[in-house]
Amino acid sequence: MQASRARLFKEYKEVQREKVADPDIQLVCDDSNIFKWTALIKGPSETPYEGGIFQLAFAVPEQYPLQPPQVRFLTKIFHPNVHFKTGEICLDILKNAWSPAWTLQSVCRAIIALMAHPEPDSPLNCDSGNLLRSGDIRGYQSMARMYARLAAMPKKG
Amino acid sequence: MSSDSITAASVPSAANARDLGKKKRANRSAKLKQCKLDARREQWLSQGTAKNRGFKEEQNGGVQCGKGGNRALENLEMSSRGEDMDRSIHQDSDLDSPSNSPTSATSSVLGGADSSTNFTGSGSSGSSSSSSSGGCCSGCITEDEEGGGEDDGDGLDDWETMADALAADEDKPQGQNPSSESESVAQVVSPRQVTDGTGLRDGDSKLECPKMVSGACGNSRAWRPDDAFRPRSLPNLSKQQSLPNPDRHYGGGGVAWASKSVVSAPTSCPICCEDLDGTDSSFLPCLCGFRLCLFCHKRILEEDARCPGCRKPYETDPIEAEASVNGGSLTFRLARCCSMITRS
Repeated sequence: MQASRARLFKEYKEVQREKVADPDIQLVCDDSNIFKWTALIKGPSETPYEGGIFQLAFAVPEQYPLQPPQVRFLTKIFHPNVHFKTGEICLDILKNAWSPAWTLQSVCRAIIALMAHPEPDSPLNCDSGNLLRSGDIRGYQSMARMYARLAAMPKKG
Repeated sequence: MSSDSITAASVPSAANARDLGKKKRANRSAKLKQCKLDARREQWLSQGTAKNRGFKEEQNGGVQCGKGGNRALENLEMSSRGEDMDRSIHQDSDLDSPSNSPTSATSSVLGGADSSTNFTGSGSSGSSSSSSSGGCCSGCITEDEEGGGEDDGDGLDDWETMADALAADEDKPQGQNPSSESESVAQVVSPRQVTDGTGLRDGDSKLECPKMVSGACGNSRAWRPDDAFRPRSLPNLSKQQSLPNPDRHYGGGGVAWASKSVVSAPTSCPICCEDLDGTDSSFLPCLCGFRLCLFCHKRILEEDARCPGCRKPYETDPIEAEASVNGGSLTFRLARCCSMITRS
C-alpha cells in the first residue's frame, strides 16, 4: 500500500517533469485518488488512428507495481486487440509479461506501439482481427479510420 | 609529476601490506571459516593479483630468457618500429607464453586483443601489467598455479590486506575517484619512461597499491562488448568501450566504472522508490544488473520471482548470496565462480 503510493507519487513527479519530452502522452492523475489515472494518447502517425486522441483509464491496484495496472480505452477504437465495447486491452505486458520496472508512462508507450502494430492472432475484437487475418488491410484501415473520426477526433463545426 | 609522486608514495605501503599479509597468512584458514563473506571477497581480489603475477611471470620468463631481456627487447622493438608493430609483437608474446591450457590460451588472446587497442599501455613492464590484468579478468587461473608459488602467495596476502583496507574504505570510494584516475593514467604513461630493471617492481607496486584501481581498470579492459567471455551482466560497458579516444579509454573506463558503482548506490529502488541503503545498493540479485531493494526483491520472490529488468526467473539462493556479497563487482562474479571451481 505504502510502496505503491510512494511509487505512484514518484511517477507523478516524473510525469510532470517529462510532460514536454513526450508530447504524444498526457498522463493525468485523479485529483482525489492517486490510484486512478487517465491518459490521453495521440494516435500514431501513418496508422488509421492518426490525428485521433484516445483516452485511457488506469486503475492501479494496491499491489502495484508488482501487479500491472488495469488499463482500458475510454475512447471507442476499432483495433483487433481492444474490446470494442469495454475498451479492454489485450497486451502481454498488462497481463503475464508485466514487469514492476514498467511505469504508467511506459505502458502508454506500449499501447501506442500496439496501436501501430496490431496483433490479429490474439483478437479481442474479432471483426477487426478477421479483417486483418484475411488480408483485408484496406477494410481494417477504413473501419479503424471511421471509428477514429467518429470517436477520437474533435467534431468539426 | 603527479604520477611520480603517487608511485613514490605507493611503494612503502606495498611493503607494509606485504608484512601484514604474511602475518595474515598464518591464520588465514581460521579467517576463512570465521567470515565467509570476507573470504569470498578476498579470494576474488587475491585471484586478481595472483593472476596478474602469474601472467607476468610467464610473459617475462616464458618467452625470452629473462625478465630484463624480454622487456628490453620489446622496448627496443617498440621504439624502432612504432606502435603498430609493437602491438603485434605484444600480441605474439601473449600468444606464445601461456599455451599450457585452454583457459590460459584464451585469456592471453583476450589480453592481446586488449593491448591492441591500448596504444600507450602496450609498452614494457607496464604493458604486461595491462594485458595481464586483461587476462586475469577473463576468468582463468591456471597461471597462478604454474607461475611460481612463493610470489603468488605474496600476492595473495597482499591482496588480502588490500581487501581489508578496501572493505574499510568502501563506504567512501568517491574520494578515490580522482586518485584512481591519475593512477590508471600513471600506469599507462610511465612504462614509456621506465626501461631499466626497476620497471617491473614499479609496475607491481602500482598494481598493488591503488586499492580499487587495478580492479576497476582491469574491469574496464577485461571484455570487449562482443567478447564471448563477456558476461551478460555488464550493462553499460559497451558505451565506455566505444569511447573515441583510445588513450583515455581504459582510465576513463575504470573511473566511469568506479563512479558508476558509486553513483548507482544511493539512488532509490526503481520498484518502491524508497532510498537504497548500503545493503540494498550492494545487492545484485540478477545477472542483468537490475537493482532493487531487498524488500521488493522478497516481495517479487513471493509472487512470480522474475527479475523486473530482464523478466528471467531469479536464480536460486547460492547465486543470490554471492551477488549480495560482491555487490557492485558483479562483473567478476562469473569469472570468479569458474576459477573457484577449477581451483579446488
